[in-house]
Amino acid sequence: SSSFSLQNRNAILVSHRQKGNPLLKHIRNVKWLFADIICDYLLGQNSCALYLSLRYHLLHPDYLYYRIKELQKNFKLRVVLCHVDVEDVVKPILEVTKTALLHDCTLLCAWSLEECGRYLETIKVYENKPADILQGQMDTDYLSRLNHALTAVRRVNKTDVVTLGSNFGSLSRIMDSSMEDLARCPGIGEKKVKRLYDTFHEPFRRAV
Amino acid sequence: MVQFHEHIISELVEDNNNGIVILSSGLSLHKLISSLVLLHSSSQNTLLILSATPSQKSSITNSLLQNSTNPNPLPQEITSELSAPHRISLYSSSSIFFITSRILIVDLLTSRIPTSLISGLIILNAHNITDTCTESFIVRIFRSFNKNAYIRAFSDKPHSMVSGFAKTERIIKCLGLKKLHLWPRFQVYVSQDLEKDPPVVVDIRVSLSVYMKGIQKAIIEAMDGCLKEIRKTNKVDVEDLTVENGLFKSFDEIVRRQLDPIWHTLGRKTKQLVMDLKTLRKLLDYLVRYDAVTYLKYLDTLRVSEGVRSVWIFADSSYKIFELAKKRVYQLVRSDGVKVSADKKRVENKKRKVKEDQYNEKEVKGGSADTSTTTAVALEEVLEEAPKWKVLREVLEEIEEERQKQATIGKERVENVEDDSFIVLVACKDERSCMQMEDCIKKGPRQVSPLLINVVIFVSAFNVSLVNRDFIDGSINVYNIGQDVLVMREEWEKYLRSKAELHSFQTRSKKKKDPKGFGILNGVVHTMSRENADPTSVNKLEHDALLAAASEVSGIDTKEVIVGDDPQPSASSGGTGKGKGKGNGSSRKGPTNAKGPKAKAVKKNVPETSKLEVSGSENKGPEIATGPVEDGFSHERLLTRPSINKGVLRKHTQEVNGTDCLNAKPLPPVHFYALENNRDILDIVKPSVVIVYHPDMTFVREVEIYKAENPSKLLKVYFLFYEDSTEVQKFEASIRRENGAFESLIRQKSLMMIPTNQDEPCSGLAVSGGPEALNVQNSVTRRAGGRKQVEKEMQVIVDMREFMSSLPNVLHMKGMRIIPVTLEVGDYVLSPLICVERKSIMDLYQSFASGRLYHQVEVMSRYYQMPVLLIEFLQDKSFSFQSASELGDDVTPTSIISKLSLLVMHFPRLRLVWSRSLHATAEIFASLKENQDEPDETKAMRVGVPTDEGIVDNDVRSENYNTSAIEFLRRLPGVTDSNYRALMDGCTSLAELAVLPVERLAELMGGQRAARTLRDFLDAKYPTLM
Repeated sequence: SSSFSLQNRNAILVSHRQKGNPLLKHIRNVKWLFADIICDYLLGQNSCALYLSLRYHLLHPDYLYYRIKELQKNFKLRVVLCHVDVEDVVKPILEVTKTALLHDCTLLCAWSLEECGRYLETIKVYENKPADILQGQMDTDYLSRLNHALTAVRRVNKTDVVTLGSNFGSLSRIMDSSMEDLARCPGIGEKKVKRLYDTFHEPFRRAV
Repeated sequence: MVQFHEHIISELVEDNNNGIVILSSGLSLHKLISSLVLLHSSSQNTLLILSATPSQKSSITNSLLQNSTNPNPLPQEITSELSAPHRISLYSSSSIFFITSRILIVDLLTSRIPTSLISGLIILNAHNITDTCTESFIVRIFRSFNKNAYIRAFSDKPHSMVSGFAKTERIIKCLGLKKLHLWPRFQVYVSQDLEKDPPVVVDIRVSLSVYMKGIQKAIIEAMDGCLKEIRKTNKVDVEDLTVENGLFKSFDEIVRRQLDPIWHTLGRKTKQLVMDLKTLRKLLDYLVRYDAVTYLKYLDTLRVSEGVRSVWIFADSSYKIFELAKKRVYQLVRSDGVKVSADKKRVENKKRKVKEDQYNEKEVKGGSADTSTTTAVALEEVLEEAPKWKVLREVLEEIEEERQKQATIGKERVENVEDDSFIVLVACKDERSCMQMEDCIKKGPRQVSPLLINVVIFVSAFNVSLVNRDFIDGSINVYNIGQDVLVMREEWEKYLRSKAELHSFQTRSKKKKDPKGFGILNGVVHTMSRENADPTSVNKLEHDALLAAASEVSGIDTKEVIVGDDPQPSASSGGTGKGKGKGNGSSRKGPTNAKGPKAKAVKKNVPETSKLEVSGSENKGPEIATGPVEDGFSHERLLTRPSINKGVLRKHTQEVNGTDCLNAKPLPPVHFYALENNRDILDIVKPSVVIVYHPDMTFVREVEIYKAENPSKLLKVYFLFYEDSTEVQKFEASIRRENGAFESLIRQKSLMMIPTNQDEPCSGLAVSGGPEALNVQNSVTRRAGGRKQVEKEMQVIVDMREFMSSLPNVLHMKGMRIIPVTLEVGDYVLSPLICVERKSIMDLYQSFASGRLYHQVEVMSRYYQMPVLLIEFLQDKSFSFQSASELGDDVTPTSIISKLSLLVMHFPRLRLVWSRSLHATAEIFASLKENQDEPDETKAMRVGVPTDEGIVDNDVRSENYNTSAIEFLRRLPGVTDSNYRALMDGCTSLAELAVLPVERLAELMGGQRAARTLRDFLDAKYPTLM
């Protein structure tokens, strides 16, 4: 039975209620198995999800409320996975948002069953993942870093980065360039020149 | 003042009502506004001018300055940088101000403005107004306080007034205006004024060079190909998708407007096609604006940055673009003087790939023999100059001749002539062309070096490093075709230098990199790279020859650098350029002689750089074009150094001898202006000859106005058009387009229904009152007993920065009270518990990437019980992130789904709100606020503000910081959350940071390591292309 629970821990547990939900076809990157649980999907020790199709919600507006009420409070993350499968979304989304918000649930919207499945997979796969990809790390090679820095200036694109790089030779030269030199770069128009120049030459803190 | 301006103003003032004026572009809107401002001065109240662009502000100020009768102080600017009390005192000072709409709305909402003391609002750029924009918000609030003040809106972009369904009508409604005044160029008063005494127009058609024609044709073919592909998708209305429309920027809008709602359902290819069309349009534009070398360089850049993704780059026609662009710059020649034949073959052959493969095979076979002997390849420079350059010089010479003639006619008139009659203005599109043109004219006279410089360089040493090559003889042949070539040469040397840098970079990094660029160029990428051990393949030869030439140039350059004091190669001045030319000639005398005969032979190959047909300038009498004259603001560049008169070589020089400087002709003083600089240069310089180098409708109109204002002045206008080029097409189409827009506006005006009760109380709310009224009714029926709605007004605290967006406006329409403050945490505070961070889709992606969102959510969760992330979609775009097909098979860290999942997992208390549109957001806010307490303004402001700093009153943070510089700084390697503040304190700007020595950096950043990382990154050599 220990192997069974180990297996359980690495799989998404699916409520029997979800039998026949075409969404299950799209959970491919993670194992899943049926189990006797109250929530629709058990994604980890502290997280669970309820699935809601907006079309269903339109027919049964109270369904979500009762499902949330059954859930125990002992989950840290309670997701309402909302499948947006109707055209006229404004009213039903408003209702679902309100219900989820007032009852401590996190609402995730998805526009296809594939996307729904992907959310479930991702939450399972990332169960123990730190948040560092959210903290702004990225590729560390020179060009990506240069791209990253220069595109902080509005409207500057990758082609401009190449142009600037090959015209000035190094970032410090770009940062120290005169307006005229910037204007000489092919493809960089007056507005971009001004924006770049201001970024580099205006003080970080303007007049107090 | 032009007469029709008086008509416009009297019409506006006459009905003393609120109206919108739409006039043709170039009809001097700024003068119209300044005349209005002058009229206003008599009254005693304050006048506010809204949403003027910086260039509009300066031209309005300028024309006020020029008007000596102006009794008022010039308009000042009110921005958020002024303190609140200062602003209040300004509002009641009864003068005229430019004001940003963001600060005006904040001051209106906080009742800081004594609205009764405002006599009117002038709103510029009315075409940007929408129902939900801040300007409509301002007008609505303003009207509710002050019903007597006038509101006048202006636009000189008629075509964008018709770019949506009933756009003009909607603008009129949301500004509460009553009358639409249309002033097209073809209006009777306007055309009477402008055609009374039109300037003399000389229309010069320059034919494109053969290569340019080829490129243009190829680009249009490629565009056509892209358009056909787009049409095949059946997703767009075909009618608007023509190549002619494709010439304009607005084409993107047409396509985007159609595709945006279904953007997520489109495949990658279609999206790329839309991008490609944009790129191609640019290429077409640059073809007539950039010189041959720069153009090639730009193509190289494109190939590197887009090569992998683009569809068009692989098309047959784009091969032609690259090939022809190269030919405008250089050609390969065998050392025996025979052009490397593959080049020719390729151009002629339609079935290029097949043929070339055959060719390569042959070469492979013959290769062994070849490699054992010495293979010699020479790089022959072509350096085709832009055909217009020559024409420009001729025109200038002609003008000078005329000037001389007049000078001899009457001596007493001479002074006059010197003073102003002969100021020549050349109007180009951009700063770049200006500088180059100036160089052309300026450097011309100094060019006296021998006409043929022939240099042969042995590069065997260089080639040792190359794969299995025995020996290569690369040589550069320099032909000076005309004086303009000097300029071309400089560009060319820069180009080569960048190649040399690349090469040394590649060798240094030991990365064996195939010359991929060339592979793509020839459309046979794979075979080429596999077989590239074959040293005689044309590509390889070409590549090597280029490198050889490059190493030569950079060799010269280093020498130059030691001698001269110009450490930056990119800033090579005329002096060094010339030095180089001479250096080449003298130091390599030996080889030059050896190659003598060949040189002559090749000279015939060099195309007569430009065959120009100047109609109307020499043989025929000037042709008077009936069309409008040309336009242009630009920025001034004075060239009046007296030495300029010394003379310029004529175009035939190269055919004769090096001695005929006698032929040189004097040139008149010339000013160059870049149209993009948008200054009213005509009034400043007062030219008597205008040369329109790049045709532009707006500038034409300005010239007309200038002439109408100075009827006594003789004005001659030269147009330089490339014949049969898209330049002409574009010019003509722009006129057609504007006329079309006006016709449609006239039609709309006749059908338009403007409510007469716009002055009624609460009219503003009535406009948007529909949904709200409905709401009230609904709630009445829903609530038992029809209980009256709670009297108390809902309140929302909004961060100042959010007034860039339309949400505050929509919330206000919904009947909420908006309290603008500076928030450190969150964008909206709905209740003491609920704080909202709003993200548009684009923001969401960006702030995920930068890590900002993580930080924002983190602090929001720290201070509020219910932190909310609002993801706001746009009404007219699709409501989803991506299509199912784009999802991919695996969980990838870059996907938005992964990021969102990770975010909610780390912040389980974070609530997500998904909103379809602005209006949906407003409804969600309202429903969230039910049963919640109202937020406390002072508390909300205190949240998250570091206590030691205290609270700065009414400080708008984003205005006090150079936000993009800070963002930039934080993205640099070595810079972290903990040290960026110290860096900001240690140096005032990024430019200063760029030159800070590493020791100082270490001090500021608190560590050698971080400082090193940063310094190294700043100084790292940029890897050159190819």
